[in-house]
Amino acid sequence: MDGSQAAGAAGANSSSDFVRKLYKMLEDPSYSQVVRWGDEGDSFVVLENERFTKSILPKHFKHSNFASFVRQLNKYDFHKVRHNNEDTGQSPYGPGAWEFKHPEFKANNKDSLDNIRRKAPAPRKPNQQGGEEALPTQQMDLVNSQLIATQQQLEQLQLRYNEIHMSQSMLMQELIGVQKTVLNHEHVMQNVMSYLHTVDARQRRDSRIGGPFADASENQAPPVSVDPGQQQISPLEDEPASPLQNASKLLSDLNADAQLNYKNLENMTELHNRANGTLTTPPPDSASRNGHQRAPTSAGSSTTMSYAKLHADRDTLVYPVGQTQGIDPMYSEHINNIPYPMPSKDQEIPEARRSTVDGRKKSTQVDPGWIRDPQILLVEDDPTCRRIGSKFLYSFQCAIDSAFDGLEAVNKMNAGSKYDMVLMDIIMPNLDGVSACHLIRQFDSTPIIAMTSNIRSDDISMYFQHGMNDVLPKPFTKEGLLGMLEKHLGHLKKIPNGLDSMGPHSAQSITQTSAAQSLKDANSPNQSPSTISNWHSPGTFQGISPTTAGANPFMQPMHPAAGYPMDQSQLQFQQPHTPLAAPRQQPHRRQISDMSGGDELNNEAKRQRLFAQQNGMAMSQMQRPRPG
Amino acid sequence: MASRHDSQETPSDAGSTGLPDFGDNIDLLTFEQILEMDDDEDEREFSRSIVFGFFEQAEATFMKMDASLESKDVAQLSSLGHFLKGSSATLGLTKVKDACEKIQHYGAFKDETGTTEVLDKELCLERIKKTMVPLKQDYAEAEIILKRYYGTS
Repeated sequence: MDGSQAAGAAGANSSSDFVRKLYKMLEDPSYSQVVRWGDEGDSFVVLENERFTKSILPKHFKHSNFASFVRQLNKYDFHKVRHNNEDTGQSPYGPGAWEFKHPEFKANNKDSLDNIRRKAPAPRKPNQQGGEEALPTQQMDLVNSQLIATQQQLEQLQLRYNEIHMSQSMLMQELIGVQKTVLNHEHVMQNVMSYLHTVDARQRRDSRIGGPFADASENQAPPVSVDPGQQQISPLEDEPASPLQNASKLLSDLNADAQLNYKNLENMTELHNRANGTLTTPPPDSASRNGHQRAPTSAGSSTTMSYAKLHADRDTLVYPVGQTQGIDPMYSEHINNIPYPMPSKDQEIPEARRSTVDGRKKSTQVDPGWIRDPQILLVEDDPTCRRIGSKFLYSFQCAIDSAFDGLEAVNKMNAGSKYDMVLMDIIMPNLDGVSACHLIRQFDSTPIIAMTSNIRSDDISMYFQHGMNDVLPKPFTKEGLLGMLEKHLGHLKKIPNGLDSMGPHSAQSITQTSAAQSLKDANSPNQSPSTISNWHSPGTFQGISPTTAGANPFMQPMHPAAGYPMDQSQLQFQQPHTPLAAPRQQPHRRQISDMSGGDELNNEAKRQRLFAQQNGMAMSQMQRPRPG
Repeated sequence: MASRHDSQETPSDAGSTGLPDFGDNIDLLTFEQILEMDDDEDEREFSRSIVFGFFEQAEATFMKMDASLESKDVAQLSSLGHFLKGSSATLGLTKVKDACEKIQHYGAFKDETGTTEVLDKELCLERIKKTMVPLKQDYAEAEIILKRYYGTS
């Protein structure tokens, strides 16, 4: 028994607990009176039901319920042995004895116990139970792992997205940078073009008239590109040489394209910023914003002036479309910036014009037709001048800030105040205007106009050398002031073509100074249709001239200041000049002006005026003898 | 240089505005510009305040000039001359402006037109002193005309 017990211990694991317990119980000889193996060893007999239930069952099966013991046996396919063949029907082990039998349950054959399993429903049941328990946990595990995997994926996507986002921002920045460079280049090209135009114009004039003034200027600025073909142009033609025409047409087309592209890009950047509002993406945002404000500083001094103009130009293109740029409250461009025209102003324009045309009547409300109020900084220590200057500016629909001296002006601009133009007195306490301008130019490219009575040529060249853009002689006149505004703030003028209400008045609304002026505006496109994109060039030139040694001697004799001592009303002398050529409509003109924002009409006028200024007395002299 | 003010003195089409003849003391074209800025042609509030502000400014400057003459501070005299030149020119007080300009030049050791250097400080002071007389006279005349125009004298 001991040996089989040891052997049984090995196989016990695989057999059912109940069967092993049953077997173990039967091995105990002390129970032989109550429960024992059957005589043949293939069954077991419970001899004394009561004692078995009370004393043995609790020991081995932890309960004292014979019925449940029998049920358990049944489950394992034990069967009660019936002795029906006997007459009495009595078991050989006694009347109360219960004999149970299983084919595999045999004394001395512990190994066969493994074959005793719970009956069919029983084996099925454990499976079912296991399934019911395992399924939820399995599912949970599955779901859990899936969740984790998804989360990881998401995280990775997020990382990837951030990476892409970053690189996209960088790309955008790069693109903007490249675009700026392109614009700069374009501007340099335009400067070159305008220079060629002036040279060309002079060349033509010289070839026809050859006055003393022309000779003088020619000596200082030798012709750069002289097209032999231009000599054949009839005297009435005031067209630039055809290569120049072609070149400037190409340029103007390019210019428009670039601006459109730029707009798209800005749109994109903005959308991009807006879409990623949650993700903080300062790079493209600040880049585009800085682009507005600071870009000119990086552009180098030679193009600062023109570049600022171009930039602002882009703004005028962008704004009427209704695009909301990233509104920076500190950015003056966004202050008082009304993208649509004030309804009342349109009515005022003809009126204002009439009043100036009819004579010097009261015309306090001159509306030059700004798209928004220009922000002007008036730097002037003299209270009388400051008040009158402010009043004039106010009457031109400008928003005015004033500074007492150069120091205050520098401080204001350094503190981030943005202006469209600075009118700067020269001689002031604490810090003079030239020094102030020099300081401001270290970080800002806003047009600065010297406002002074010191207008000798060496004074003026000094002003330009320190970064001033123009000179407004003192005592300034209303017309002179308005002329300066229109000359340097052309980008803030309403676009005549774009606004229907402005249509017929477009030419007139630009300059109300005199009837001759508007006449000239109407004609100016015909005078030099190919110089459309170069309207700003004279301003640029003056800005550049001090920095480029070569241009300086060229500029000096051209500037109005040179002619100033001869005539106080220099600022007005160009107004009565008669149109050079009879009006000729050129169909492509409109088209071009549409493409480049339609600003040309305004700027044409400005350029025209400058053109006249530049050529000074020579111009007005040669015009008088000419018939038409 | 001196001739550049010629156009200012060309008589303006004075009849159109109905302004009194200010004579050659006040340049009408320039002064009209300021009058045009008045919202109310009867009150003339803006131009009035400008003109009377200028009076105060001029008188204060004259006092400073006298003091600077005492202390022989030619640089300060030049600066004061420039200061008053700006506002008087803006108002069209041509004679006052011209005198101020001279003082500015003298104070900067220059001759009357500001083209030639004059190194003699005493000579400069003397010239300034001489110029002060017509300056104050011209100013007084202009003041009378203007005050009459604004109906306060």
